[in-house]
Amino acid sequence: MQPDKFYYDNKTVRNFAIATIVWGIIGMTVGLLIATQLYSPSMNLGNQYTTYGRIRPLHTNAVIFAFVGNAIFMGVYYSLQRLLKARMFSDVLSKIHFWGWQLIIISAVITLPLGFSTSHEYAELEWPIDIAITIIWVVFGINMFGTILKRREKHLYVAIWFYIATFVTVAVLHIVNSFELPVSIFKSYYLFAGVQDALVQWWYGHNAVAFFLTTPYLGMMYYFLPKMANRPIYSYRLSILHFWALIFIYIWAGPHHLLYSSLPGWAQSLGVAFSIMLIAPSWGGMINGLLTLRGAWDKVRDDVTLKFMVVALTAYGMATFEGPMLSLKSVNAIAHFTDWIVAHVHVGALGWNGFLTFGVLYWLIPRIYKTTLYSKKLASFHFWIGTLGILFYAIPLYWAGFTQGLMWKEFTPEGLLKYANFLETVTRIIPMYIMRSIGGGFYLIGVIVMAYNLVRTMTTGKLVSNEAAEALPLVKENEPREFWHRKIERKPMVLLVLSLVVILIGGMVEMLPTLFISSNVPTIASVKPYTPLELQGRDLYIKEGCVGCHTQTIRPFRSETERYGEYSKAGEFVYDHPFLWGSKRTGPDLQREGGKYSNAWHYNHLMDPRTMSPGSIMPNYDWLIDQKLDTTTTAVKIRAMQTFGVPYPNGYAAIANKDLDLQAKAISANLAIDKIKVSSDREIIAIIAYLQRLGTDIKNKPSK
Amino acid sequence: MNIRKIFLTSVLLFGIHNISFAYTTSELMNGIALGAIIFTLALICIVCLVLMKTFKVMADMLLPKEEKLMMATAVSDLAIEPSEPKPSLWEKLLSLRPIAEEKDLLMDHKYDGIAELDNPTPAWFMWLFYGTIVFAFVYLLNYHVFKLGKLQDEEYTIEMKQADTDQKAFLAKSANRVDENSVKLTADVEVLKAGKATFIQNCVACHGEHAQGVVGPNLTDEYWIHGGKIKDVFKTIKYGWPDKGMISWEKQLSPKQMSEVSNYIKSLKDSHPANPKEPQGDKES
Repeated sequence: MQPDKFYYDNKTVRNFAIATIVWGIIGMTVGLLIATQLYSPSMNLGNQYTTYGRIRPLHTNAVIFAFVGNAIFMGVYYSLQRLLKARMFSDVLSKIHFWGWQLIIISAVITLPLGFSTSHEYAELEWPIDIAITIIWVVFGINMFGTILKRREKHLYVAIWFYIATFVTVAVLHIVNSFELPVSIFKSYYLFAGVQDALVQWWYGHNAVAFFLTTPYLGMMYYFLPKMANRPIYSYRLSILHFWALIFIYIWAGPHHLLYSSLPGWAQSLGVAFSIMLIAPSWGGMINGLLTLRGAWDKVRDDVTLKFMVVALTAYGMATFEGPMLSLKSVNAIAHFTDWIVAHVHVGALGWNGFLTFGVLYWLIPRIYKTTLYSKKLASFHFWIGTLGILFYAIPLYWAGFTQGLMWKEFTPEGLLKYANFLETVTRIIPMYIMRSIGGGFYLIGVIVMAYNLVRTMTTGKLVSNEAAEALPLVKENEPREFWHRKIERKPMVLLVLSLVVILIGGMVEMLPTLFISSNVPTIASVKPYTPLELQGRDLYIKEGCVGCHTQTIRPFRSETERYGEYSKAGEFVYDHPFLWGSKRTGPDLQREGGKYSNAWHYNHLMDPRTMSPGSIMPNYDWLIDQKLDTTTTAVKIRAMQTFGVPYPNGYAAIANKDLDLQAKAISANLAIDKIKVSSDREIIAIIAYLQRLGTDIKNKPSK
Repeated sequence: MNIRKIFLTSVLLFGIHNISFAYTTSELMNGIALGAIIFTLALICIVCLVLMKTFKVMADMLLPKEEKLMMATAVSDLAIEPSEPKPSLWEKLLSLRPIAEEKDLLMDHKYDGIAELDNPTPAWFMWLFYGTIVFAFVYLLNYHVFKLGKLQDEEYTIEMKQADTDQKAFLAKSANRVDENSVKLTADVEVLKAGKATFIQNCVACHGEHAQGVVGPNLTDEYWIHGGKIKDVFKTIKYGWPDKGMISWEKQLSPKQMSEVSNYIKSLKDSHPANPKEPQGDKES
């Protein structure tokens, strides 16, 4: 039989590689900027478009979906063709995929600083972009499955199992977490509210880590590591076990982001139990990777790409052990909402995703350019400064996290909070923030050096756009007797359906009862819908990204009820589309902010936080005073809420702006008593109205 | 099943507790913390450099020998069958089979040149996996079937009860029991000094550095919105007037501190600071 001759598409791989580098530098630079903002408010650059709340989502989206996303596509396009002995299914689809993805990223870079945000972490992009992501993801899926179907290799290698699971799960996650009702071209409300919305979001958020940052990278590890080390994969059986266990168990662990919240206890416990069970399946990948290097450790010493891979696997192992430990309630009680979590995710992001990407880039670019790396010395420099960068980043933040988490809980013998002033716990950790940004700076320098090194490599070689290859065509034959799993490996559609079933189980068991059984969200009679002005204020709170630093959920701890007031009840959030619980307390919790301070205090504090709280690191929000509140949207917003069943009276949408005016004028008049002259049509009035409403409803309980 | 939790938290508490809380002034401590971090990181740098050098030296010393050794075995392979190699501790621990047996484990397929070995999953790995599964089941049974573990609401009730008991016990044996009925006017210098410190830390944002009034009223004139007697001032501080922007300080200041700051405020009468806010409230002599 004659072997087929065909060509691998290297051009798309190269394009994704360049995009990875460019977006990586941009995303990390934004990260460095927001890191400096945490100790120097002037780094917010005095305008709304570069303020922390708006560009923190830009950092997370850029590094996750632009840097890591492009790296995934680079790795998949390179390895998939070679593992299947086939060119990508369609060059047109490859082009659409590449340019479509870059356009999505550019639209994120434009819309996020403008304040178009849904507030769901790692899903901030508004609904038109959500639709674009869905389309491009489907294009990627068709291109991948098309290639799989025209393959010349009978069985699918473990890397491809991970790619398939990634594709199908990310699709499910993205669609379910995008159930939104548009109210305008760049504004929508999430279908679910409060506790339910929180569960959907963290089912998504946790599994974005699992199926965007972990499974595709495991797939890449399974291809590139044995190629780099020229060693066989240590254990085929371990691959099978840890693949299925990982995708089945991961999906259940989302509720560990909501421990001690008003999520039902049974859902929290499931989150903890499955997080613990996740240790071994996660480690399966690390063990299989590190043991693949058995007998090749002498190569690790000389080969910088392997060094990157080893650190990546080690960071992966550390992060996936720490994660389950953080889901134990007693540890979580200290660590949650602190910088400990930020340190934890950055060990994963900088170590695992970053270093594995760098390793692959250093290995792949010279190969598709038929040349050798421009400078091994520079690559080695990158490795060491990157490793130091990770340590300099993580250690101070772990320190900050422990310190602040324990300070929040410290009581004096008189029974008072030792650090009753939240700000005191912030100023204590500012030196750690400074050190962290130095670590981040080191890491970024490394990436820039890599970019230089790779550009020089590209200019010395010439891209082999179409790399010739040959392989025997696949012939139909009777099914041989083979190991049960080998049978599945021959049937991509079966593999797809099986992984879909496996990942749906956990999500359904946890979410369906919470979404549809009313006893899981006990209602409170005194909780009423927001007034039109408060609703507008709430949308400003979302637009400015306040949720990036302020939580709105008080845990049932003495240290929190003493500091903030009564702990949060599920019934308080039933009109919150979306929920705004947050995940990090850079500033204090705001769930019971209503009535704590006067309107004048809020006015002065928003204009310049340091007048009211000397030493505060919160940015100024002075543009809220200059900008007029857009009230043309009130009616459509009220109607959207009514669609969700929020009980505004019939026909209220038409007259809502009257109520809005009245309430705004009252606040403006109240401010005038304190000699603050501000027109009632300004944005700041709406946000003050919202802040003053927060958490006050349950105080109006009718006496028993 | 709680052993793991207890172990972890105790390690954390033991390690961190002492470091973080013995401080008095936060700036000094910030300095010390910064110094300590820089020191730690510098240490890490040095250790990394030393390790790198050590590896290099070791490699240079060991590698030629290894190569010789490999050549020697290659030669002896030709001559005689190699004797059964003894597994090292490391290999036993990871249930590894000697690398020489690898060819027997190679599976009969390759993907783009990548081969796979048919190694079993390491025993310790399986035990870890089974262990976590057992933990998960016990965890769920404990909280939701046998209900031995306490869920968060119950945990909270117990915590609050305990705190209440402790607080009462502490206050009963200390002189720290002053309230709005028992607070006394005093001109004791120590009391006023302590009051001033509390004032500077908590009150200046609204009342001004010299109590001349900013958002909050002037505290140095003869006019009082909520009464100017020591008991009234104490009460205002303790419970606040939230409608008017004065927050309650009961949870942040101890009774002693509130009485000190009340006395400090009373001592400011007729201090005539610069830029006084206009009088508010009723005149009291």
